[in-house]
Amino acid sequence: MPVDAKLSHTAAMILQAIHAGHIYGFSVMQMTGLPSGTVYPAMRRLERDGLILSRWEQQSIADADQRPPRKYYRVTRTGKATLEAVYQRYPLLEKMIPSPQSALKVEQRV
Amino acid sequence: MKRLRFHSASLAQINIRAASLLVPHSDRLEWTAEWNAELYHLCQCRPSHTPHADPLEFSLGAFRDAFWIRCNHLRSDGLPILKAGSPARCGLLLTTFAVIGFLACLCLPRARTALLPIHSFRPTDLVMISSASYAGAQLPTIPLENYQEWQTDTDKLFSQIAWYYPSAKNVYVSHQRTARLSIALASGNLFRVLGVPGPSAPGRSPNGASLILSRAAWRTWYHGDPNLVGRTANIDGQPVLIAAILPDNDGQLPGQMEAWLLEDQHALGQLPPKAKGFVFARIRGSAFPAPRGGIRVMTETRAGVTPCFECISVAWLARQPTSNFFFALLLASMALPATTALPLGDYRDRLALTVHARRWAFLAMKFLLVLAVVYPASIALAWGPSLAGSTAVFLQVATAFLALLFAFRWILQDQRRRCPECLRLLSNPARVGQASCNFLSWNGTELFCDRGHGLLHIPELATSWFSTQRWLCLDSSWLCLFPETRSPSPGMV
Repeated sequence: MPVDAKLSHTAAMILQAIHAGHIYGFSVMQMTGLPSGTVYPAMRRLERDGLILSRWEQQSIADADQRPPRKYYRVTRTGKATLEAVYQRYPLLEKMIPSPQSALKVEQRV
Repeated sequence: MKRLRFHSASLAQINIRAASLLVPHSDRLEWTAEWNAELYHLCQCRPSHTPHADPLEFSLGAFRDAFWIRCNHLRSDGLPILKAGSPARCGLLLTTFAVIGFLACLCLPRARTALLPIHSFRPTDLVMISSASYAGAQLPTIPLENYQEWQTDTDKLFSQIAWYYPSAKNVYVSHQRTARLSIALASGNLFRVLGVPGPSAPGRSPNGASLILSRAAWRTWYHGDPNLVGRTANIDGQPVLIAAILPDNDGQLPGQMEAWLLEDQHALGQLPPKAKGFVFARIRGSAFPAPRGGIRVMTETRAGVTPCFECISVAWLARQPTSNFFFALLLASMALPATTALPLGDYRDRLALTVHARRWAFLAMKFLLVLAVVYPASIALAWGPSLAGSTAVFLQVATAFLALLFAFRWILQDQRRRCPECLRLLSNPARVGQASCNFLSWNGTELFCDRGHGLLHIPELATSWFSTQRWLCLDSSWLCLFPETRSPSPGMV
C-alpha cells in the first residue's frame, strides 16, 4: 500500500493503537472501544496491505504462564510512514491514543 | 454471576468453532487458535474493568472476521473450484456439458419430443400402424384406402381406429392476414382414440368440420386470444369452427402439426385414395400375439397379396430414445474391459474409511454426470435433425456407445491420477529406475500430491510383486516441503 494511501478513521485508530503498544486484538478493542467484529477484520486488512505484521508468541513462554500463545502485531516501516501521513488527516488521533514517542515529544515541549 | 459467565464462554467457543467453518481450510487452524487465545484472555479479565468483556458478544465478531477472510481469499486466489485439477472443477465442467446438452435438446423440437416422455401416459393399448417399420412412426405410410378398408374389416383387432393426413392450408387469422399452417385432415375420432379429453367430434360448422389448434399455433397466430374457442376460422375459403386449443403435451404428434381439422368420413373420402397418412388404433389385446419389443405384426391377405404392417405401441415408442441409450450403455460397459484396465490401484495404505467413501462417491458422481452429458447429447444429435426413425435410432446408439466408451475410459484414467485424500490431480511425474534393471529393482513413474498427502507409484511393467499402481501416504512431517499447505502455526515464531 502506498504511504499516502487514505485510511478510514477506524483503521487509522487501530493502526495508531498498535503503534502505541496495544499489540494484540483484545488490547486494541479495549483501547479503541471498537467491537471485535470491527477490530479483527481491520487488522487483517492492515496486515494484508503490509502496514502491520503478526507473529505468534513463543510456545515456551505461553506454557510457562499456563495459557494459550497469543498472536502479536507490530507496525511495519510502511505502516509508520502511513501513520505519519494519517496524522495530517486526523490531527486528534495522536492525542486520542498517544504513542510512547509522541508522549515523549509532549514532555520535551513542556 | 460466575456461572453465567461460564455458560457465555462455552457458547462463545461454540460460536468460534462454527465461524471457523467459514475460514478457508489452510487458514483455519491459525485463525481458531488466535480467537481461542483472545477468548481465553478476555475470560481472565474482570468484567467491570473492560468494555466488550462479554465472551458471547465478543465471539459474534468472529463471524464477521471469518466472512472477511473468506471473501478476501476468494478475491486473491480466485474461486477454488476453478483451480486446475480440483474435483469441483471436474464436476462443474461435466455439469456444464450436461446443461448444454439438455438445453440443446430443448431447443430442437424433435429432440425435445424424444427427450421428454410425453407419450408415456398414453393408453397402453394405443398403437401406430406403419408399413415402414420404425420409420413409419415419423413419416406417413398408410394410404387412405387401407384405412377405409380397416374401418370395417378389423373390428376383431381394433376397438377404434383413426387416421390423419398432413397438409398445408391457408388460414385467415386476423384482419387482412393469412397464414400457411400445417394442418392435419383427420377423422373425427382421432382424439378419442388418442385418449385426449376434449371435443373430438365434428362441430357445428356448416360443413360439419371443426378445428383443433395446437397451443403453439394459438400463441403464434392468435396471440393467445382467450376468447378464440367458438369462433370461426376461414380455411382456404371455408368457414370452420374452432373447437379447442390442445395442451402442449397432447399436441405433439408425428408430422409436427399446428392444427387438426376433424372431418367426417364423407369429407375425408374426397382425398385421393393413395394419400398417405398416420393411423392410430386401440387394439384388442387378445386378438394379437405377444409384442416383440413394442411392435406387433398385422398381416392381411387381399387378392393373393399378404402385406405386413407393424402396430407400434405409442407408449413404447416414447420410451425408445431411453431404451436406445440403455442399450448403448450396456454395450459400452461390456466393451470397456477390452479397452482399458479396470483396477484403480492399491490404496490400502492408512486411508480412513471416510477417505475411501469420498473417493468412491466422487467416482460415482463422475459416472452419473457422464450419463447426464451423453444422454441428451445423443438425443440432440440423433433426433434433432429430421432423419428417418431407423436412422435416428442407429445414430443414437452409435454416438451414445462411442461417447460412453471413451468417457468411461477417461473416468477410470482420471480417477487413477487423483490423490485419494483431496481428490486433486497428481502432478510432477518423475521417472524412477531403469528399464534395463527391471528385474533387479523397481522401475516406473512417481507422481505426488501438491498438498503433500502422498506419492503414487506406477510400475512400468506389472510384476508379481508390483502389479498395479500403489499409493504411499506421507505423514505430517513432510508438509513443510509443500508450499500449498505451509502456514505458520500457533507457537511458531
